[in-house]
Amino acid sequence: MPIERQDKRRPYRRYLVTGFLAGMALIVLSGQFIAYTSTDSFCMSCHVHPHAEDNWRLSTHYDNPSGIVVHCVQCHLPPPGTLGHLTAKAVTGARDVYGMLFKDTDAIDWEAKRQLEQAVRHTYEASCIACHQNLFPLQLSEEGLHAHLYYTDRQDELNCLNCHLHVGHYSEVAQQTIDFGLGQLEQATTVIYQEAARVEGFERFTETIPGTGVSFDMLPIPGGRFQIGSPAGEPGRGPDEGPLREVELGPFFLAEVEVTWDMYMAFFRETVSEGRTEAGSYVGTGPRADGVDAISGPTPPWGSPDQGWGWGDRPAITMTYHAAETFCRWLGMKTGKDYRLPTEAEWEYAARGGTSSPYFFEGDPRRFTRESLRNRLFGADTTTIGTYVVYRGNSASRTQPPGRVKANPFGLKNMLGNVWEFCSDFYAPETYAHYPEGSPVRNPQGPPSGTERVIRGGSFRSDAYQVRTASRSHTRHDDWLITDPQIPKSIWWYSDNNEVGFRLAISWPMDSTNQ
Amino acid sequence: MDQQTKTTDRRSFLKGTASMAALGALGAGAILKACSDSRPKAAVPVFYDQAPEGKALKAGLIGCGGRGTGAAINFLNAGPGLEVTALGDVFPDRLERCRRELRERQGVEVPDEKCFTGFDAYQHVIATDVDVVLLATPPYFRPSHFDAAVRARKHVFMEKPVAVDPVGARAIMAAARMADAAGLKVVTGTQRHHQRDYVTTFEHIRAGAIGELVAANCYWNQSQLWHVARQAGWTDMEAMLRDWVNWNWLSGDHIVEQHMHNIDVINWFTGKHPVKATGFGGRHRRRTGDQYDFFSVDFVFDDGMHLHSMCRQIDGCANNVSERITGSKGRTNCQNRIEDLQGNLLWEYAYPLDGAGQPTRQVSVSPYDQEVIDLVAAIRNDTPLNEAEACAVSTMAAIMGRVSAYTGREVTWEEMMNSGMRLGPEEPAMGPVAISAQVPVPGTGPEA
Repeated sequence: MPIERQDKRRPYRRYLVTGFLAGMALIVLSGQFIAYTSTDSFCMSCHVHPHAEDNWRLSTHYDNPSGIVVHCVQCHLPPPGTLGHLTAKAVTGARDVYGMLFKDTDAIDWEAKRQLEQAVRHTYEASCIACHQNLFPLQLSEEGLHAHLYYTDRQDELNCLNCHLHVGHYSEVAQQTIDFGLGQLEQATTVIYQEAARVEGFERFTETIPGTGVSFDMLPIPGGRFQIGSPAGEPGRGPDEGPLREVELGPFFLAEVEVTWDMYMAFFRETVSEGRTEAGSYVGTGPRADGVDAISGPTPPWGSPDQGWGWGDRPAITMTYHAAETFCRWLGMKTGKDYRLPTEAEWEYAARGGTSSPYFFEGDPRRFTRESLRNRLFGADTTTIGTYVVYRGNSASRTQPPGRVKANPFGLKNMLGNVWEFCSDFYAPETYAHYPEGSPVRNPQGPPSGTERVIRGGSFRSDAYQVRTASRSHTRHDDWLITDPQIPKSIWWYSDNNEVGFRLAISWPMDSTNQ
Repeated sequence: MDQQTKTTDRRSFLKGTASMAALGALGAGAILKACSDSRPKAAVPVFYDQAPEGKALKAGLIGCGGRGTGAAINFLNAGPGLEVTALGDVFPDRLERCRRELRERQGVEVPDEKCFTGFDAYQHVIATDVDVVLLATPPYFRPSHFDAAVRARKHVFMEKPVAVDPVGARAIMAAARMADAAGLKVVTGTQRHHQRDYVTTFEHIRAGAIGELVAANCYWNQSQLWHVARQAGWTDMEAMLRDWVNWNWLSGDHIVEQHMHNIDVINWFTGKHPVKATGFGGRHRRRTGDQYDFFSVDFVFDDGMHLHSMCRQIDGCANNVSERITGSKGRTNCQNRIEDLQGNLLWEYAYPLDGAGQPTRQVSVSPYDQEVIDLVAAIRNDTPLNEAEACAVSTMAAIMGRVSAYTGREVTWEEMMNSGMRLGPEEPAMGPVAISAQVPVPGTGPEA
């Protein structure tokens, strides 16, 4: 019986052998193909970003004491031998070929692709870990030990790139150490103001910060009535934008632009506190009750808070709500005026400038958004919105100077877009429902208590839907500090939010003596 | 029940012995699974009576007080080929006393050039050719000493607790990972993990002898501990160091310094740590320092299980040092006894018998010897043994209880893991210490 069975099999042998040899040849050839298409030179033959090659050669993954060179595919693909490696290779390759053939590669913003939110899509954490298997080498610094301990406890929430963004491609602005030199940035101006502005009446004035060369304009916002929130059915509307309520406000001043780096660094230079004080134990976004006389300002930040995008009149970002409030108190002491953050109602009233449409300019959010299939396929309309708002459609993934946009009917710039702005109200999704129906609520302040603050206006990263006038959001204190390597975490700088800033307000008439 | 817990049959014994040969000693902490049977059975712990022969090992002692001297003697007695070759202490008199003990009891002479005093003595001891360091200073110093020892690739025996504050506890956790990565062995002075009755009881509880664990208590209520009154000519620092068990920044208070043992047993048996604590405490009798005399803390675990912990150091009160865990099917004292929920005995640890054939109530090898034997065995057999992180977790849990009692607040694990609290001077030095003997008072009081 066994012999018979053997005979029956024999005719298949030839096919088997041929098939086997063909398979082997295919494997060898495809192996060579894969190996060839995984070389640095192959990657760089198509990729039209010579600077990426240059800064890779400057990075610690190319230039290091051990002489090891980490190649393109070792970071930009999952580890070889894993299920995802070949799939990712095929997908990435197809996308690159498509981009090469059909896209204007000169128009690609490579700097934007280096921002964390984009970088994590092109870099594989499994690949980091495949090489960096020991997170606790004996040579690791004390700070590194604590940071890695923190990481290993929160591996789901964190990515290696949170702290090591520039290790594969060198960046001048990336600094892993405390930047004590930051406060000593050169001031461009030669004029040093001696006095703060004197305000004679309810009209536009230019505030001058004594002892600095920094000035900014405050605009009078006449009191009045308006409807807060958006009507049901407004495209992109969030459930927290209603119900519509009538609000009545007294007159107030609002700054023409978001607080700039020039303004914020004047504060930083004057109040910077090195090391950690008792204030370091403060956590949260609620008011502090410490009644300090002399203002103790921010500690030096980790890294470069401008993200390498530039200082000057770009809006200041990454400061905490507490830091923004402290800035207001400092400016109040410097100028004798009660600077403060606007309430949410003041903010929306000023942003509307008398309009009740989704934006203060003409236009349908459905035409502007990228969150619809139609616009993703055929392109969103950016012409009108792009002249008034720095948002995802035109921002190149970073803040822009106020000169980029036209003002709203009150003369205010960047109310919509550029950076989210802190309001003094605590956030609650149902805030408006607590306001009375029928008769107008006067100067509402939001809920009496809470944990997170309202932020308004959307940012350079927001879609057209989020930069609608009625759009609401709020701080996320813990999330925005998740990679802060210090313990306790900074009360001054958000490590993980670079799209929130603030705008100054003053009540009118001013209570202060210096009017 | 008898069948379920009594599994020292021939098959599992042989299996245990075979695995033993393959793996070498795992120390008491790592226990072999006796059966692959789906029904859980208590494994048979295997203990070394003596450390196995192997590479000669030299140890350096840092902290030459009573416990440090004891640890050095335990090390010398743990097996063949073991030496103590270097000593370090802040105070010359303590070092000399230890040196004399070693000479008189063990016939060991540590030469002058290997004896170091002062706050940097630990660096000098670590810099000698020792393979092992024994860390037995007050716990305030432990994080920096442990970090230095690991970075110098020394195996470590260190006394508990391993820190007095959250920053220190986290430093130990991080250095523990470094020690793992470097293949170093660490034993931490939580000697119940090396006490044969505890370890055997643990195996029965792990195998399900009392079902699901639903509640726990632990106690360290004892008479007052020692204190040292300040002498003329002593600086603040010297007075505090010589009286260290009464100063929070040096000892962590007695809930951390002493009662941490019992909290650690509950963590060990549950395989978890508490996630929050609400406690209180106070002071009536102490003469020196800034510590409390007693604490009572309600710890809560992530599954809602409560652990009530109490500790007291006052003379003439009811004393009790023990643990107790209640399960869905029974109770245990964690040490040697398992009973059902009606109090009927289900199992008892079989202690060695004395000459008259009566149980001695003593394990055959003292846990203080056993822990060092296990350390040496792990080093020589190169088997995994690193208790640093578990000890840091239990230390942190005790710190959480202390902070709650001191402040009156509910304190969470998350808060501790993110707390910047650091006690004591940045750099210890002889001279004045800017810490007053202020005893913490929680909450607020009525207006005067």
